[in-house]
Amino acid sequence: MAAMMQPQIILLKEGTDTSQGKAQLVSNINACTAVADVVRSTLGPRGMDKLIHDDKGTVTISNDGATIMKLLDIVHPAAKILVDIAKSQDSEVGDGTTTVVLLAAEFLREAKPFIEDGVHPQNLIRSFRNASYKAIQKVKELAKSIEGQSLEEKKRLLSKCAATTLSSKLIGGEKEFFASMVVDAVGAIGDGDRLNMIGIKKVPGGTMRDSFLVNGVAFKKTFSYAGFEQQPKKFLNPKILLLNIELELKSEKENAEIRLSDPSQYQSIVDAEWNIIYDKLDKCVQSGAKVVLSRLAIGDLATQYFADRDIFCAGRVAEEDLLRVAAATGGTVQTSVNNVVDEVLGTCEHFEERQVGNERFNIFSGCPSGRTATIVLRGGADQFIEEAERSLHDAIMIVRRATKNSTVVAGGGAIDMEISKYLRQESRAIAGKSQFFINSYAKALEVIPRQLCDNAGFDATDVLNKLRQKHALPTGEGAPYGVDINTGGIADSFANFVWEPAVVKINAINAATEAACLILSVDETVKNPKRSGIRERRAR
Amino acid sequence: MGFSMQPYGIQSMLKEGHKHMSGLDEAVLKNIDACKQLSTITRTSLGPNGMNKMVINHLDKLFVTNDAATIVNELEVQHPAAKLLVLAGKAQQEEIGDGANLTISFAGEILQGAEELIRMGLHPSEIISGYTKAINKTIEVLEELVEEGSENMDVRNTEEVIYRMKAAVASKQFGQEEILCPLIADACIQVCPKNPANFNVDNVRVAKLLGGGLHNSTIVRGMVLKSDAVGSIKNMEKAKVAVFAGGVDTSATETKGTVLIHNAEQLENYAKTEEAKVEGLIKAVAESGAEVIVSGAAVGEMALHFCERYKLMVLKISSKFELRRFCRTTGAVAMLCQPNPDDLGYVDSVSVEEIGGARVTIVRNEGGGNSVSTVVLRGSTDSILDDLERAVDDGVNTYKAMCRDSRIVPGAAATEIELARRLKEFSFKETGLDQYAIAKFAESFEMVPKTLAENAGLNAMEIISSLYAEHASGKTKVGIDLENGVCADISTMNVWDLYVTKFFALKYAADAACTVLRVDQIIMAKPAGGPRRDQQPGGGMDED
Repeated sequence: MAAMMQPQIILLKEGTDTSQGKAQLVSNINACTAVADVVRSTLGPRGMDKLIHDDKGTVTISNDGATIMKLLDIVHPAAKILVDIAKSQDSEVGDGTTTVVLLAAEFLREAKPFIEDGVHPQNLIRSFRNASYKAIQKVKELAKSIEGQSLEEKKRLLSKCAATTLSSKLIGGEKEFFASMVVDAVGAIGDGDRLNMIGIKKVPGGTMRDSFLVNGVAFKKTFSYAGFEQQPKKFLNPKILLLNIELELKSEKENAEIRLSDPSQYQSIVDAEWNIIYDKLDKCVQSGAKVVLSRLAIGDLATQYFADRDIFCAGRVAEEDLLRVAAATGGTVQTSVNNVVDEVLGTCEHFEERQVGNERFNIFSGCPSGRTATIVLRGGADQFIEEAERSLHDAIMIVRRATKNSTVVAGGGAIDMEISKYLRQESRAIAGKSQFFINSYAKALEVIPRQLCDNAGFDATDVLNKLRQKHALPTGEGAPYGVDINTGGIADSFANFVWEPAVVKINAINAATEAACLILSVDETVKNPKRSGIRERRAR
Repeated sequence: MGFSMQPYGIQSMLKEGHKHMSGLDEAVLKNIDACKQLSTITRTSLGPNGMNKMVINHLDKLFVTNDAATIVNELEVQHPAAKLLVLAGKAQQEEIGDGANLTISFAGEILQGAEELIRMGLHPSEIISGYTKAINKTIEVLEELVEEGSENMDVRNTEEVIYRMKAAVASKQFGQEEILCPLIADACIQVCPKNPANFNVDNVRVAKLLGGGLHNSTIVRGMVLKSDAVGSIKNMEKAKVAVFAGGVDTSATETKGTVLIHNAEQLENYAKTEEAKVEGLIKAVAESGAEVIVSGAAVGEMALHFCERYKLMVLKISSKFELRRFCRTTGAVAMLCQPNPDDLGYVDSVSVEEIGGARVTIVRNEGGGNSVSTVVLRGSTDSILDDLERAVDDGVNTYKAMCRDSRIVPGAAATEIELARRLKEFSFKETGLDQYAIAKFAESFEMVPKTLAENAGLNAMEIISSLYAEHASGKTKVGIDLENGVCADISTMNVWDLYVTKFFALKYAADAACTVLRVDQIIMAKPAGGPRRDQQPGGGMDED
């Protein structure tokens, strides 16, 4: 008690954890490098995958930086920032998530010796920011526009971009096959740029090559009642009615109650209920629709009713699928069957229920308004298809960005080498400490080709030296040279069609620099005790 | 039996467990010490080269910032005396919206000066009277330092606004003020009402969207809603808007009620009448000329169905504040059920756009009301975005302050050095013991150039002495040029601080310091029993 009476200065709450100064900054940097080391080996076409077994027991095999970072469940506050930039890269451009984490960590690693030597972090930050502006300018300068080409040509170019992305993924072996599929899919949705209009359906079984693209909508057959078998499964130019109501015998409203004084009326109420459902069904039939889809259940009565009238129906269609059908066929989803006019009905050239693997699929193709596409993915294991889906998502995003921004740069580490060279040159013109910092920033950029070599098992020093020599050529002809992953030497990435959209690089450099600067600018960490801790104690 | 242990003195009057501290050593010096500790935390964040703090609050949310108000807010300061400083900082934040760090750091510095004086043998009351004289003199001098001709400004002139805002924004986001300032200035000028004194900070909104970089940031005349449109119609140009405060749906009773049906006919018609009613409502909206419906609550499926049928775009804004702002943007009046053509608002365009993977609805209204503008910030992490938002807030608050009082004083520590110099001269003319206190007060101003120089990695002593030399030779506008690490004339660098910011920061700091000094006894009640203490944080959680 007496000890407690002695008034110590307690400025902050008990249990508050503070750390500050150089040591703290260095430890933050170390944490970030440690995180980057985890994803480091996934970079590039020869990158390895990670198997992550989370606390719920789900197994994910992935090579996508953002996915891995998300699943890692990082608690270190500084390292969390790296997760954030991976996510941001994912949402902004969709690919290059590993690159961004690696770059950020490499910037920090280069900054570390300076910090230890007592350089004020603000000086580093300013130089890094300057360097990043210069780098981005240079990327924009080096980028080649694919605008103004014919449609065919453009498609070919876009599929090169997609192939570059896919080459680093699990499905890299079939990159041409998938690249053209992705380009077609993105081409189908046009300028509408609604990503959810591209559906990816996964069906285990078969091989990757069995995957196919539906220029329209495809979804798995929904649960059906008796009578479904008698329904026709194939139509040419059918009218399609999309509903958001239950076609079932059920109480009309929860808050309605029936009180009868006369038992003889009972039958009339039962009849009335039947009348209501028959009335609804009749209206559906009268609308002239041959295919009826509903987000809610379509009961056995309705199924039978439709079967008798040669109409196909499917209930409990997933909402996104229904919306996609609506967008594709030009129909609108109806919440009432009253007053169904022709305009709200959709149509397509071809409707069919087809066997895919051991699943049955409803496929709508040849849709008038286009704007949708569905990729049906086939493959061996579940995890494999999952990863393939993520890879395709990346590729789709890349193609979309490339279509929008229409500039590409040489991949395979070529652009990184070129910027690095450019920054080194620039730095020589700067007087003062900044020269060092920009030089180290330039050096950090070389991590991309170095890692590509390391992952492929080449001698990184050797390849890097060759690259440096090529890029240093005064004529500038060496600019597009990057790592040749097939031979272990160097090659003209541009001529080999290893292309990346410029926006990927720009965003990666930007995000990585911002994150590195943010981490460098922190000189004190204060961690307040969690209040939930107290709660847990109380629960006990 | 416990008489031998009977506490003596004041302890005997109080319940057991009370803490009681009195006298110079126990109370005053301890208080000063606590305040000093607090100010050492914030001090390194002062100025453009200030470092960030990483604060993880009790809810496990990460803040990376150099905004002193945010730091002290999340620190959960417990010491009663240090809390006074926090309150002073908060008062500054609320009054001006900027300069909280100066308040806290300066208060810490003059308290440190007071400690030395106490050790010298001065009584706190003498120090207080000296400090009061000093702050009065400071304010006098400060007024003399105001740049001539700065009291008249055109608050709608972008350049003049940027000129005054730059220092405030640069101290939060150094190196990025060139991008941020024009954005903030434009946004503020757009919503500036006829009488600039009525400028409302709430009218400049910030939308944070992850991805991209700062240079992708833009401003939108109107609002940015972080949600998608409800129906399938995603954009609309030059449309009238109907705003419904409640939901757009079949009206349901709040009290539990059931509909009693007596015969088959009623049952069959029940659904139909409901449908007809919704259709009636939507039809009425469509007929009133509106093309966009904004609902404050859920939009029923049936209602949505008819909206699609009548080609109405549907937006849902569930936040009441957002809805109110939306009304302000479009000039609409929120209605409850029946549309009234007079209450419709107007927008130039409403469209759903994809920015960095997120779908947002952008509401533009170029002409007319022009009352809300939004700064769309882009950045790669949440922490960066939060920090940028605070910089924008500071900028907007500076604009508000300059609308009221546009006078400026030289920044970059030029004012502080001049104040220190003049106060020192003043102190020599005082006869009493106040002299010491005033001299200390004057010395404390050196904290600002010292910290600025230290944070920038410069030699503080050298800078301060050369600053004094320049000022003594009559060049009162010489401050620190942080980029080159030398002393330079402010007018060439264009670093100006608002007079009001300085005024309030110094005043609050002096007031807080005097309050701390006045305390000579601390009596702390025994914290109430165990379980109650546990309950408190639980209750507190709900407030957050």
